[in-house]
Amino acid sequence: MERAVEIRKNFHQALEEVSHEIVRLAGLVTEALGKATEALLCGDLTVAEDIIKGDDVLDSLTLAIEEHCYQLLTLQQPMASDLREVVTAIRLTAEIERSGDLVANIMKAARRMYGVEFDPKLRGLIERLGEQVHRQFRLSIDAYVERDDKLAAAIDDMDDIVDELHVDYIQAIFETHEQGAVALQAAVQLALVGRFYERIGDHAVNVGERVQFMVTGWLPEHTSAARQSLRDANGDDLPLAPLHDGDGAGGPR
Amino acid sequence: MTMAADSDAGGPQVRSHFSAELDQLRLQVEVMAVRVSLALNRMGRVLATGDEDLAAVALAADDEVDAMLVSLTERCYDLIRRESPVASDLRFLVSVLRLLEELERIADLSLRVVKHAPDVPMLKADASMFRTLGDMADVAQSLYRTALDAWSAQDVDAAQALAEHNRVMDGHYAILLEHILGLEGPGAAPLAVSAVLVGRALERIADHTVIVGERLRYLLTGDPAYLAAEVR
Repeated sequence: MERAVEIRKNFHQALEEVSHEIVRLAGLVTEALGKATEALLCGDLTVAEDIIKGDDVLDSLTLAIEEHCYQLLTLQQPMASDLREVVTAIRLTAEIERSGDLVANIMKAARRMYGVEFDPKLRGLIERLGEQVHRQFRLSIDAYVERDDKLAAAIDDMDDIVDELHVDYIQAIFETHEQGAVALQAAVQLALVGRFYERIGDHAVNVGERVQFMVTGWLPEHTSAARQSLRDANGDDLPLAPLHDGDGAGGPR
Repeated sequence: MTMAADSDAGGPQVRSHFSAELDQLRLQVEVMAVRVSLALNRMGRVLATGDEDLAAVALAADDEVDAMLVSLTERCYDLIRRESPVASDLRFLVSVLRLLEELERIADLSLRVVKHAPDVPMLKADASMFRTLGDMADVAQSLYRTALDAWSAQDVDAAQALAEHNRVMDGHYAILLEHILGLEGPGAAPLAVSAVLVGRALERIADHTVIVGERLRYLLTGDPAYLAAEVR
């Protein structure tokens, strides 16, 4: 009995260490994201270089966390709720690591666009997009740390702002190009930068969903899985879904 | 019969029941992989025709992939919890978990292409560029089929070949980007942006099929170096 208590104590200690490692990884990505928007707008190549190189640190930290999680699965025999925490840790690590990759991608685009003057409207939209995505990402990690499923659920609604800004942003790229204020090469890079920000916003939503799973046991895929079961039960053919409305609905983004 | 004999007889039975569950899981993963293959076929047809009805069907069909992701993920964790597998069995389950995510991601990326269905008439107007996009869609599907075959046959050589074949995709993507940057005149920006977003999604599909191959190499060889392919 005492041994069982001891094993669980060790397990929880190890889980806490994993949680600290995840927060550290997320902290590095949040910091890089904050600096990236300014570096993009100012053409700061030093910061761009630092962030791109820093991605290697994120990668090795990610592998270490995953290894740690798998050891937990092998060496211990987690109970259902503990298992949920380990599963969440594995999934969160992947989401955060991909966000870090995307920040590095923004910096690579910044290098390609070095010397390009940004139209004030585009500049304003990039600033707002960067701020909103940064805030959203930070809050998703706060939700993890605080185990706050309400905050985690709110990230999805916050992402509507990113989607709206993204639409305005793409339109502004077209207009600016038409007016001759930005070359096609830069327009293409800007469009990709917009996609990278949008994807980081999506990853923050995924983090929020994983946190909800950890706290409540609800999985986002359950929504689409339930929809599919209903369809199977009714013998329905696939219904038509609107275009431009999420990647299917309910699944990871 | 003695207690010891009972116990000896029970051990292998438990193991063989577990092995049967793993075999069942392997088959279910193949079913999910085939569904993703269908998603890629639909993607190819939507890109070729701009058929918005088919695009809507493709979006709805993604629920099937999500449903399988849920049930198979839950089954993996259930097996890990119940059986506390070690060594190669654990490696198999962990590999399946990661494979499921890659399959789901490939299906999502196919939808990113599908959502450009309304842009197809505009893309078609530039015949050369449209041909490159078509080639990229073909390569993505062919790479995926190779990955699927490698998984079914547990073939380490086929898995290894994926990374080499991906260079074909890189070549097409480079041609696409070069073409895009040469566009000019009114409407060049919407065309360029649509083409680059479609092209990038296709290129990412190929990247994820390579990760499937690396995951298989890890499963078959146990060499953790292949895990790093997922972290880039």
